[in-house]
Amino acid sequence: MMTEFVFATAQYDSGDWDSAPLLPANIIDTIARYTEITVAPTGAIVPLGDDRMLRYPLLYMTGHLPVRFTDAERRNVKRYVDRGGLLFIDDHNHDIDGTFHKTATEEIARTVAPLTELPNNHPLYSAFFKFDGPPTTSHELNGWGDNLVHKHLMAVERNSRIGVLYSSKDYSSEWNYHPDSKRFLSVDNTKFAVNLVVYALTA
Amino acid sequence: MTQLRAVRIVLAIGTVFRAIAWGLGAALTLLVGAALIDLATPLPLGTRHVILAVAALSAAAVAASMAWRDRGVFSLERVAMWIEERVPSLEYTLVTAVETGNASYVAGAKTDRWRPIAIRRAGRALRTPIAVIVGAFVILFVMPGGAVARMTLPHAGDSLDRASVARGTRASRLSPLVAEVVPPRYSGEKTTTLDQPRDIRALVGSALAMSGRGDATGIAARIGKDSVVATQRGDRWSIALPIGSKPFAIRLTDRAFERIVAVEPVLDASPSVVLTAPAHDSVLRAPTGRIPLAASATDDFGLVSASFEYIVSSGEGETFKFKSGVLGAVKPTGKRASLASSLSIDALELKPGDVVHVRAVARDANDVSGPGIGVSETRTIRIARADEYDSVAVDAAGPADEEKSVVSERMLIMLAEALERRRPSLRRDTLVGESRRIAADQKRLRRTVGDVVFTRLGGDPSGEEHTGDDSPTRGKTMEEMLARADSATNQSADPIDFEGGESPVVAVNKPLLEAYNAMWSASTELEVGEPGRALPHMRRALAAIEKARKAERLYLRGAPPAVVVDVSKARLKGKDKGATSTRRALSPADSAAHSRLERFANIVDLVQRDQRAAIDSLLLLRIDALSDEPVFASALSDAADAMRKGKAADASNALTRARRALAGTQVARDSLARWSIVP
Repeated sequence: MMTEFVFATAQYDSGDWDSAPLLPANIIDTIARYTEITVAPTGAIVPLGDDRMLRYPLLYMTGHLPVRFTDAERRNVKRYVDRGGLLFIDDHNHDIDGTFHKTATEEIARTVAPLTELPNNHPLYSAFFKFDGPPTTSHELNGWGDNLVHKHLMAVERNSRIGVLYSSKDYSSEWNYHPDSKRFLSVDNTKFAVNLVVYALTA
Repeated sequence: MTQLRAVRIVLAIGTVFRAIAWGLGAALTLLVGAALIDLATPLPLGTRHVILAVAALSAAAVAASMAWRDRGVFSLERVAMWIEERVPSLEYTLVTAVETGNASYVAGAKTDRWRPIAIRRAGRALRTPIAVIVGAFVILFVMPGGAVARMTLPHAGDSLDRASVARGTRASRLSPLVAEVVPPRYSGEKTTTLDQPRDIRALVGSALAMSGRGDATGIAARIGKDSVVATQRGDRWSIALPIGSKPFAIRLTDRAFERIVAVEPVLDASPSVVLTAPAHDSVLRAPTGRIPLAASATDDFGLVSASFEYIVSSGEGETFKFKSGVLGAVKPTGKRASLASSLSIDALELKPGDVVHVRAVARDANDVSGPGIGVSETRTIRIARADEYDSVAVDAAGPADEEKSVVSERMLIMLAEALERRRPSLRRDTLVGESRRIAADQKRLRRTVGDVVFTRLGGDPSGEEHTGDDSPTRGKTMEEMLARADSATNQSADPIDFEGGESPVVAVNKPLLEAYNAMWSASTELEVGEPGRALPHMRRALAAIEKARKAERLYLRGAPPAVVVDVSKARLKGKDKGATSTRRALSPADSAAHSRLERFANIVDLVQRDQRAAIDSLLLLRIDALSDEPVFASALSDAADAMRKGKAADASNALTRARRALAGTQVARDSLARWSIVP
C-alpha cells in the first residue's frame, strides 16, 4: 500500500522538544513545493520511547534544555539508527557552550557514537539542491548564540550513510514560521530541508 | 649388639638413598623421553605441565615403593639373619642372641667385619639407579639448548626456545611465533605471552610484540596498507605494534610464507554509575531545604574520580540561563566507589519555574583511549510556579468529577432496572411517579457532566448560581452545549462551529458530550414512565463516562498550532520544477551487508579448493565484521576453528549460523511504502 511521507518530530522526556511548533508545517510545504514526494499535510509527534518512532525515516529533534534520554529512548534511538533511520538534531540555542549542545552531543556519543564533522561535499548536500555545505542561518550571521558561523554539520555515519545529523546552526529558529509567510522571502531558506528528506528516503 | 645396630643404620641409609635414586631416575627418564618427543613434535604447554607433574609424582611413587619393599632393614632380626647369611661361622648365634636378648652368645664373634660388608652392599645397590640418573643427565646435556628448559620450566612463549630436529634455512621463520601483549599501565594487568597466536584479544592501548626465530631480514607485517618491518634482537626477529580501538588483521610475510593473526581490541568499559538518591524527579513548592544525594560507581579496571553534577536552568521560551556545578567529588582508588553529598536548594537561589538537573559522574583511569566517563540517570527538581500550585498536589485531592458521575450513573441504572423488573406489579401512576424521580436524578447528573464539559471549554460554572434549568443564561449555555453534544456524537447534521474547526478540547470532551446526550435521551424516556427504554441510553452514558475516565492523559504543552498544509496549492500544478541538480540514487544503506554476503559466498566456494586460504579469508572477514556484526563474527570464528581441527560437520553448522546471522541483518527497502506509515 502506497502511503505518504510523514514529517515526524521527536518527543523526549527531558526537554522542550516542542520549541519549534511551526517548523513541520513549513517543511511539509517546502517538500510539496519542490518535489513530487507524496507528503502528509500535517506532521506527527512521536515519543522517542515509543516503538512507533521506528516507522519514520526522518526524525526531527530540537530544544533548548538539557537532553537526557530515558532508557527506553536510548534503546530506541540506537535501534532507529541501526535500522537506517536519520535522526536530525538541531540546537535551538545555537550555542556550542549551551546546555542542549553539551548534553545532546553527549547523549548521542553515549547512545550511538561520537559525532564527527560531515564533509561539505557529502552526498547530503547534493541529494536534491546543490549546496557547498550547510546553508547559514540569519541567527548565525547576526552573531547570536555562540557568535560562530559553523562551517560543518556533525554526523554519525552507519554503513556509509548518515544515522544522526547534528546541527548547531539553529535551523529550528530559521524555519519556524508559517508556510504562508514564505512569500515574503526573496530566497526560500528551507530548501536544505528538501535535501534532508530526499536523503533520508533514498540513502 | 652395638655392631649389629651400626650395620642396621648403614643398611637403612643405603636403602633410603637407593629409593631416592630410583625415584629420581624414573622422573628423569620420563622427562628425557618427553623432551625427545618434544623435539620431534612440539608438545603443548598444558601437556608439558602435566608431564612435569607426572614426573614428580612418579619420582615420589617409585621412591616410596622401593623404600617399602626394603623396609626389613629396620628390623634387627632381619639384619641379624642377613649377617648370618654372609658370615656362616656365626652358626645362628647372632640370631639367637637377638631373639633371647642375650649378647653373650656372640661374645666371641669377630664383629668388625660386619660393617664393611654392609657398606659394600649398600654401595652396590646404588650403582644401577645412579647409572640411570647419569645416563639421563648425559642425554639431557647433549640435547639442544632450550629443550630441557621447555620440559623442566614450561611457560608461555617458550616455543621459541624449542629446537627443531630438522630445520633448514628455507623453512618459514614465521613459525614458531610468539606474541607478547603488554597492557597499558593504568589497567594494572599482567603481561600476557601467547604461543602460535591466531586470535589475540587485548585491551586498547596495549603494546603487542610478535617475535620468532631467525634473521629479521625480509620479515614484515602488513596491516591494511601499512607495513612494518621486523627488527633483530639477538637470534630472534621482532615486530612491535600498538593496539588501537579497531580490530585488524596482521599479515606476517617471510618470502613466500604468510601468516595471518587477527587482533581484537577489548574496549575499556566506561564506569557504571547508579544514582540512588534522589530516587525520582520532584517538584518543590518552595526553594528551600537540602536534598541528599547518593550514588555508587563501578569500573572494570579502576576509578579515579567521581562526583555529582548539577545544572540549573532558568527562564522560559527562547530565553534560558544556565549555571552548573560539582558536588561531593571523591577520588576513589579501587573499582568501586560510593558518593554521598547534599544539594542546598537555598544556596542555589532558585526562583519559581527553575529546574535543577542532577546526576552522578565517574571517570576511570584510562589514559589511553579515555578517560571513560560514566553517568547516571538524571533527576530533575523543579520549583513550582505560583500559578501551578493546584497541580503540585501536595495535599490529597478529592475524587474527580468523572468518578462521581460513574457512581451516580451506575446507581441510576440499578434503580431503573429494579423498577423495570417490578413494572408488571405496579400501577401505571406509581410506575410513572417512581420513573420521574429517577429522571430528576438523571437530569441532575446530566447537569454535573455538563458543568465538567463547560469548564473544559473555558466557562466558569462555579461562580454561577444555578436555580434550575429555567435560568436564561443557563438555558442558553445548555442549549449550546446540547447542540455541541449532538454534533459531537453525530446525532445532528449541523457541524459544530468552533471558529473554523473542532478544537482539541472538544475532541477531549467527546466522550462526556456523548454521555451528556445519552442522559438527555434517558431522562426523556424516564419522564414518560419508560425505564426499559431509558436503560440503553443510560448504559451508553455510563460507557461514555468510563471511556472519558480511561482516556489517555494529554499533554497539551506539546500541541503545535494546527497548520494543515494544502499540498496541492503548494505544488501549484504539481510540477516538479525546483530541482537544480540531477537526482541520483545513493548507494543502498545495506551495501556493507551485501558486500559481506558476497565475500562470504566466495569463501564458502573456496573451502572446497583451498581450506587454508578459506580459513585466512574467514579470519579477515571476521575482523571486518567484528565491530558491527558480533554474532556473524562469532560464527565465522567457530567455523575457522572447526576447519582447523578438521571437524567438517561443526564447520558446516558454523557457516550456516554465519549466513543466517548475516541475512538476518539485511533490511530490504524496495520502496518508500515501508517507511511512510501514518500511525
